[in-house]
Amino acid sequence: MLENPVSETFLLESFIDSPALNSKLEVEAALKQLPAVSAKSLHLSQTAFKQFNISTEKNYKNAPIATLNPSKPLKAETESLLKCATAVLPEEKKQVSELEQVPIQTLISTYFSFMILLIFAHVRDLLGKFFYPDQYKSLKEQDGYAPLISDFESLWNRRLYTRISDVFNRPITGVAGGHVNLLERTSKDNNRTFQLTGKKTNVLNLASYNYLGFAQSQGYCADQVEKMILEHGISTCTSRLHGGHTSLLSQTEQLVANFVGTEDAIIISMGYSTNSSVLPLLVQKGCLLISDELNHSSLVAGSRLSGATIAVFKHNNPEDLEQVLRKSISQGQPRTHRPWKKILVVVEGLYSMEGELCNLRGIIALKQKYKFNLYVDEAHSIGAVGKRGRGICDLLNIDPKQVDILMGTFTKSFGAVGGYIAGNKSLISMLRLMAHTSVYAESMPIPVLEQVASSLRLIMDDVPECKGEGLARINQLADNSAYFMGKLKQMGFLVLGSKGSPVVPLLLFNPGKIPAFSHECTKRNMAVVVVSYPATPIISGRVRFCLSASHTREDLNLALKHIDEIGDLLQLKLLKK
Amino acid sequence: MSLQIIKNTKIVLFGALSILLFSLAGSRANEDSYIKTGTQDNFDSQNPQNFFSIGARFVIRYIKSSYRNDPFRTFLEACLVFFIIWYVSRQKYRMNQTEVELSEKEVDELISEWKPEPLVRALTSVEQTILTNTPIINSPNTIIAELSTGTTAINFTSFDFLGIMNSEGAKAKAVQTLRNYGVGPCGPPGFFGTLDVHIELETTIAQFLKAEAAILYSQGMAVCVSVIPCFSKRGDIIVADEKVNFMLQQGIKLSRSKVYWYKHNDMEDLDRVLALANQNSSKKKGSIPRKFIISEGLFQYTGNIIKLNKVMELKNKHKFRLILDDSLAIGVLGSRGAGSTDHFNISAKSIDLLIGSLWGVFGGAGGFCCASKELIGHQRLSGLGYVFSAAMPAIMAITASDSIKRLEIDYILLLSALRKNISTLRNLLNEIDGVEILGDDFSPVIHVELKNEHYFKMIKSSNTGINTSDEISRNQMVEILCGITNEMQNSGVLVVQDIYIVDQEHNVPKPSIRILLSGGHSIEHLEKLSQELKKAIKV
Repeated sequence: MLENPVSETFLLESFIDSPALNSKLEVEAALKQLPAVSAKSLHLSQTAFKQFNISTEKNYKNAPIATLNPSKPLKAETESLLKCATAVLPEEKKQVSELEQVPIQTLISTYFSFMILLIFAHVRDLLGKFFYPDQYKSLKEQDGYAPLISDFESLWNRRLYTRISDVFNRPITGVAGGHVNLLERTSKDNNRTFQLTGKKTNVLNLASYNYLGFAQSQGYCADQVEKMILEHGISTCTSRLHGGHTSLLSQTEQLVANFVGTEDAIIISMGYSTNSSVLPLLVQKGCLLISDELNHSSLVAGSRLSGATIAVFKHNNPEDLEQVLRKSISQGQPRTHRPWKKILVVVEGLYSMEGELCNLRGIIALKQKYKFNLYVDEAHSIGAVGKRGRGICDLLNIDPKQVDILMGTFTKSFGAVGGYIAGNKSLISMLRLMAHTSVYAESMPIPVLEQVASSLRLIMDDVPECKGEGLARINQLADNSAYFMGKLKQMGFLVLGSKGSPVVPLLLFNPGKIPAFSHECTKRNMAVVVVSYPATPIISGRVRFCLSASHTREDLNLALKHIDEIGDLLQLKLLKK
Repeated sequence: MSLQIIKNTKIVLFGALSILLFSLAGSRANEDSYIKTGTQDNFDSQNPQNFFSIGARFVIRYIKSSYRNDPFRTFLEACLVFFIIWYVSRQKYRMNQTEVELSEKEVDELISEWKPEPLVRALTSVEQTILTNTPIINSPNTIIAELSTGTTAINFTSFDFLGIMNSEGAKAKAVQTLRNYGVGPCGPPGFFGTLDVHIELETTIAQFLKAEAAILYSQGMAVCVSVIPCFSKRGDIIVADEKVNFMLQQGIKLSRSKVYWYKHNDMEDLDRVLALANQNSSKKKGSIPRKFIISEGLFQYTGNIIKLNKVMELKNKHKFRLILDDSLAIGVLGSRGAGSTDHFNISAKSIDLLIGSLWGVFGGAGGFCCASKELIGHQRLSGLGYVFSAAMPAIMAITASDSIKRLEIDYILLLSALRKNISTLRNLLNEIDGVEILGDDFSPVIHVELKNEHYFKMIKSSNTGINTSDEISRNQMVEILCGITNEMQNSGVLVVQDIYIVDQEHNVPKPSIRILLSGGHSIEHLEKLSQELKKAIKV
């Protein structure tokens, strides 16, 4: 966003009421006069954002954004902001071009580091087995029992993961909001076991999926949840079809359907099983499931369970999908050449590891011709993207009815857990009866259900006493994401992801930098998620920042300042000119 | 990949051959010129043709001399060359052998001709009946529930066997937790989703069951489908009871291991199958596969209890490990209510992987797995439902934890109330004609099956079915049971029939009415249930 001073002035214009900068022309003229345009624009933007932030903060505390600035319609403001925030839609292949800019020495040193790590791992294993055979007993056949954990498979965990396991599974307490209380822990045996020290530190939370800031213990949602707990209890202790179907569930499902824009929706008590148990109902043997190569593990598990033939297309590449479709439809089923019963294309709305938005428009363009069904997993995009927070379809102006199955979760934007499937009536009725979770698993607990319902009502602006709050959150998130990503890029970091994505992955490459980044962040009171192989390709270990509407501009500026420092320290600014 | 390599070698070989032939041809010309001019100028190495011709000359000289010295060898070499040519040029087996070459036009035609099936089939009338008859509850799911139809009914559908759920105390605690933790933890356990309450709950569970360590999963369904594939892989062996619940079946399916089924709770058959499995695996060379027995403690589909002492004996005899889903037994069986291990006085530590649920009797959400510390650590990295799913909401964790603590203190009172109810109801139900009551005497899961004769009687009396044969279809049974449960719901007893996804179950049980009994039911409740059941099945 800050790369282009002209587009920036458009943005500035909508926010600044200062007399010196009240017209677009003046700003442009001012910028032209200055020799160091970028430096000045940076400064300007900072002041502008500071002002904006103060005003939004006020809005947050006092309520609606619209009342504060009645002369300017809220919509126009939002739109201009979003135009900038989501100006670049995913049709360009950004990731490839950025990876190409990576200095070759970084790639070589990354591979070299992994090589050394692996050599050390093997040598340590070898020596360990020789000197302390007792510790390795469980990896060998014993008394006629095969080892439960195979030696080779666990090498990575034992020798590489354990070295840095202190940066994962970190325990917290309290609400995972904009800030979170981290429980300090120590290890006396090289990360094999941890002990809590009892100390707590309040850190800035750039780790939790709390996009719209609904992880709260106070406010409208929490009040509603409290009311519902007192009225309806906590758990139903049974499955949906066996007496666990509550009227609250029916109402919330209708709410979800209205929100997503489909005929009907079903709520499932766990996000992971939403994918893994619904896919087998949609495709069976004799069907073809075409999956994006970077789909989430739950989709992979569901695909495998289904028994359908699985084909894969290149990540976010409709041309490749078309090739796969042409080939598979014309050739039919392997060996028998019978036509496929049906074809299901499975993609994600926002790829959480890449922060990349799906090229849904390109895929939908193929739908008419190739007659496939489309399954979009909106686990990360629902609530988080789009003008009204209604996901990828809202963002790209696509009619949700063009997508056959819209799946999403409540973990990320709604501060709850669980997931939903939205689609037409016949599909949802079938799922109500046949989804594994309807028959064999617990129905959604009451507090979680009410959290979903109340946050949805806020986003849909259905709550008279909190008018505009949902929209303010959506705007704040879009603004935060765009600002944060723009700043990181400006600093010269290698950042992946589409503009407008609330997930911002920053590539770290070298395995040594992965724990180092996390440790440096913890030192500076920030919580971040670092990810490495096997969750990512071996070369591109990364840190993933998740932005939230509950971050203020001060929070982000502080975070950026620290990340800037860490970037210098760890030499991460690979694109610095 | 391998195909690519084959193609590449082919190109290289052809290249080598053509160079050889080319240089042979060139060399002849050069030799002529060499003879004519008699100078060495032509062997300038800068000239590529000359370079080849030197090589060719060597080759020719070599062939000539070798032919002179050893004609058989030349013959052999010639054969070798021909063999290579034949090998390279022959048709090879390809992976996509059956692929048909099509022109773009044909492809387009095929695409426009292709008609896919609809995404979902329409529901059958029976399915529609089940769906419309699903009870909707309009109040807390306690012993007495208010239905959306307006009737108040005694609830026999909740896994809350101890009758301690949704009490005022639990609600107050839940509100307090809400104010401290919010609702969702906003992330998987690995990425700042682990709360202190999760760690405490894991400790509480391990202490209660006297196991070494425990790991939490945020949904009950996820436990089995994560734990089994985490340890049992392709090539491993699973011996499972044929009536294990659906989630275990899914876990087994996901593991892709070799599965043997044994007759439900039949220890002789288990012995036989274990021996068979061992015999089959010993035929294969290589290291021993991992071998598991998978069973339930208290069977959800039948209400029977595993013969754990015998299973342990057989498991040790045949060197198998045991994955035991004790979801329904924990909180019900045993002197302390610690499940089937408690019931049989066997240490929970001797069960390799012990699975339990928190969403049933403990009124929370999710489930857990107890095992040795090492195996728990492995699951924290490889248990899919743990790694990739959001953590459990704090409210549910605290609720479950409080229920366990309550059971630890009040077990004598809670369990004796439940057991008294079980024996009372079983006695009452056994008096009813025309039905079969399944399950162990200790089981609060009571399946009521109608006898086939009784189905006929009911069909005749209602005159709806035109069934003249001796067979009665599953759909008819389901429809009749739907009518029965509906009638009972209207007269104030909430029971449901056990619903299955018929075409996906390994061994689908006969349709039945599933009664879940709680220690909170009074004698009057039980009497009302048996009366209404009698009335509804028209005895």
